Amino acid sequence: MNFTPMLAWWQWAILAAIPPLIVLLYFLKLKRQPLEVPSTYLWSRTIEDLHVNTIWQRLRQSLLLFLQLLLVLLVILACFRPNWRGSKLTGSHFIFLVDTSASMSATDLPQTRLEQARQEALRYINQMASGDAAMIISCSDVAKVEQPFTRNRALLRAKLAEIQPTQRATDFGEALRYAAGLANPSHTRLEGEDQVDEAQPATLYMVTDGGIAPITNFSLGNLEPVFVPVGGSGPRNVSIASFTAERNPEKPGQTQAFARLENHGAEDVAIDIFLELDGNVIDAAKVTIPAGGSAGADFALQEVENAALRLRIDSDDDLAADNVAYAALNTPRQAEVLLVSPFTTNDPLQLALTTSNAAKLANVRVAGPEYLKDKQYRQDADGGTFDLIIYDQCAPEVMPQANTLFIGSVPQLETWSAGEPQGPVFIVDTDRVHPLMQFLELGKLRIYEGFAVDPPEGATVLIDSQLGPLFCIAPRQGFEDAVLGMTIRGVKDDGSVQPNTDWPIRRSFPVFALNLVRYLGGSRGALANTGVRPGQPMEIRAHSPVEQVTVRSPGGQSTTVRREGQNSFLFTRTETPGVYEVREGTSQEVAQRFAVNLFDSRESNLAVAPELTFPYEKVAATTGSEATRRELWKWLLLLGLCVLVFEWYVYNRRVYL
Amino acid sequence: MSISASQQPLLSPQLLHQLERLELVSRKIFRGRMKGERRSRRKGQSVEFADFRNYVAGDDLRFIDWNLYARMDRLFLKLFLEEEDLHFYALIDASSSMDFGDPTKLQFAKQLAAALGFVGLCRADRVKIESLGASRQRPGPVLRGRRSLWRMLEYLDGVEPGQNVPLDQAIKDFCLRNSGKGILVLITDLMDKGGYEHALRFLLAQQMDVYLIHVLSPEELDPDVKGDLKLVDCEDSDVAEITVSRPLLQKYKQTLAAFIDGAREFCTRRGMTYLMTSTETPVEQLVSNYLRQRGLVR
Repeated sequence: MNFTPMLAWWQWAILAAIPPLIVLLYFLKLKRQPLEVPSTYLWSRTIEDLHVNTIWQRLRQSLLLFLQLLLVLLVILACFRPNWRGSKLTGSHFIFLVDTSASMSATDLPQTRLEQARQEALRYINQMASGDAAMIISCSDVAKVEQPFTRNRALLRAKLAEIQPTQRATDFGEALRYAAGLANPSHTRLEGEDQVDEAQPATLYMVTDGGIAPITNFSLGNLEPVFVPVGGSGPRNVSIASFTAERNPEKPGQTQAFARLENHGAEDVAIDIFLELDGNVIDAAKVTIPAGGSAGADFALQEVENAALRLRIDSDDDLAADNVAYAALNTPRQAEVLLVSPFTTNDPLQLALTTSNAAKLANVRVAGPEYLKDKQYRQDADGGTFDLIIYDQCAPEVMPQANTLFIGSVPQLETWSAGEPQGPVFIVDTDRVHPLMQFLELGKLRIYEGFAVDPPEGATVLIDSQLGPLFCIAPRQGFEDAVLGMTIRGVKDDGSVQPNTDWPIRRSFPVFALNLVRYLGGSRGALANTGVRPGQPMEIRAHSPVEQVTVRSPGGQSTTVRREGQNSFLFTRTETPGVYEVREGTSQEVAQRFAVNLFDSRESNLAVAPELTFPYEKVAATTGSEATRRELWKWLLLLGLCVLVFEWYVYNRRVYL
Repeated sequence: MSISASQQPLLSPQLLHQLERLELVSRKIFRGRMKGERRSRRKGQSVEFADFRNYVAGDDLRFIDWNLYARMDRLFLKLFLEEEDLHFYALIDASSSMDFGDPTKLQFAKQLAAALGFVGLCRADRVKIESLGASRQRPGPVLRGRRSLWRMLEYLDGVEPGQNVPLDQAIKDFCLRNSGKGILVLITDLMDKGGYEHALRFLLAQQMDVYLIHVLSPEELDPDVKGDLKLVDCEDSDVAEITVSRPLLQKYKQTLAAFIDGAREFCTRRGMTYLMTSTETPVEQLVSNYLRQRGLVR
């Protein structure tokens, strides 16, 4: 409580003189007017009766004096302008965007960050004036409208309390689009209110720790962003950034497990790591991780198949979710690859597909173009026997139920088309991120002739040339079609075979073949499934043609998934990190496993961001409310008015003696 | 031009005309001193026949009924009703407290005393009107007959307020000087801080037919006062400070009602007739209605 006197000293002096003046006037008032009466006989007897309760009478007599003094006291107090610091929300429409990502489960505060976020949002809701409307969106990498715009603050509080934490990453994109769409009241109907046609700006309160992916392709428009940071200072966290298990290529029969650990704290830490196989600790290590740095750890295991590995670090940090990682080891399964090529012998591609490494992953069959008209081919193609079919300078009439790679030809679909062959071709750019293009060095590749590929919408250009897209990949009903706009070897008019490129003699060619088998052949998870992050869909490929698979979550909950494409099943309930078991058909045997891990450095890094970056502006962390001075003088004057009215009533009713 | 109530003549011709038909009535038998117009239970000389009785020696031969002697050969004496006068006293409280109201209580008391005295004079009663406390300095004249009306009015005109004598003292004086029996009408406001009980007991001892007419002004019955006041008693300058309020006024009225009830009860228990009246009540109405009901006049 502060006081801000607003009068000069002489004004105070005048004000201070009023109470003594009132008392003086009160005594003057008591100078009674004399009145001669026939006899005071009856009056004296009357007064004697009333003087029985003299004290009370005196009090009642002084009631007016008390009321007048009280009035002056209130006015003086009002002149002191008593006030206290308060806060006030700006605007009348509010959107509370509450982060529920994994990092919000951190315990660097006395409570979890989500709990703190709830309290922050609650604080704002409590500051809302009557008539203000608000909505609540919870978001991780997906957004959920917990409560559309309403003026019912009780409802907002209830919905706020229902927000649950998730193990997901943070992506505000979807939530912001929700907010932008709902910020315009013309699209939103208030509960119990008529539709508001006029667009009104809304204040967007983002209650988060700021560990979010950069926000792109978003315009705030009518939204007034306010970043309400949640989190303590100097959080400590050691996380498992990645964990994989693979067969040791040098020592057959051995399995290697790799882990990478990150220290997001400000101090170096020494951490004990424990590797568990099906619940039993099989290995342990101790690593020292510098502050803000990372360290690796590897474990050599004996031949392990069809098992679940769990890596655990013994760290008492602020986020427990990233202290455990899982890896699923599955029985290797060779991909079935069909190479349809005019060159059935001595073909570089065939050679590349049958290297010792590739042979472990895939079983390659080679057939000539005439095989496409074979009944057996149609049966196999339609039945999904092959994981990958490579069409070298030929194309099927009907697209098979398999992934495809077209070399020097395009699928006979309206969506694909090819340009005129031209040469030479120079590679302009390559997509190094795509699994098909990993570890490929194509800078000095010579290509004598090629054509631009015009892929359908949604396709990814993997190699760009001066002619246009040279190598593209596009999805097709659960499968993917890759088209390479050049041949490896061509046939001249005289029937002789002539290389079209020097790629087969380069080192990148067998790597490309291996990528091909791994990616399009579906052999990525032959041993160690790469797994997914919490909340991301997992595509399961069944080993045998079954109608449904049953997925058992780490929590023991079984979910039946029906077939999406050819032997492809999409499982979406990957909320909980851990190892998920897949059973095919009605079999009780675990056919394969996959792991769900957090593996998100952004979530593991618990440092609270100082600002949020939007495409055109940066929003610094703020308290979100204007500090205002809550004044008391209005209430004091109102009270004084009430006292005045009461005093007037008392005077007129003469309820005193 | 209006004349204030105090300046009006005490008895208007209409009132006199009305009063001529009335007479004073006493509930007690009193022996008059002189012959009057009032029939007495005693037999005496008048024109009104009462009874016969046997002649005994020594009777006045003038009253023997000779006709009866002729018929019955016995002597009978004719008895006639005696007519006597009545002693009527009117005592007026002329203290300062009576000088309030419009008309003043004193004026009202004078009017009332004059009216009753006129009734007595018309019936040849012995009428004596006196102001309290004036027994020594200015004793009231004894009046008889209509001719004395002007003397009576003259005396009343001379009665001035301000004769502040304690009630009991004044009545005691009166009783000592007037031992005769008769009707006594005491017209007062009873505003004596010494109380009225002792004074009335003197009258009881005289065995008089006492009528107490309690006169109060409207200002006393329903005071119209406001604010903070210092009330000064006009007689003894006693002061009472009041702040007028509704509860106080209610309490005053309760006290007044208790005072009036107390006086009425005191009088009733002791055979006295009590009548409380406001100065607003016309004297004609008071005499012809209320006093008639009470049996003072008929």
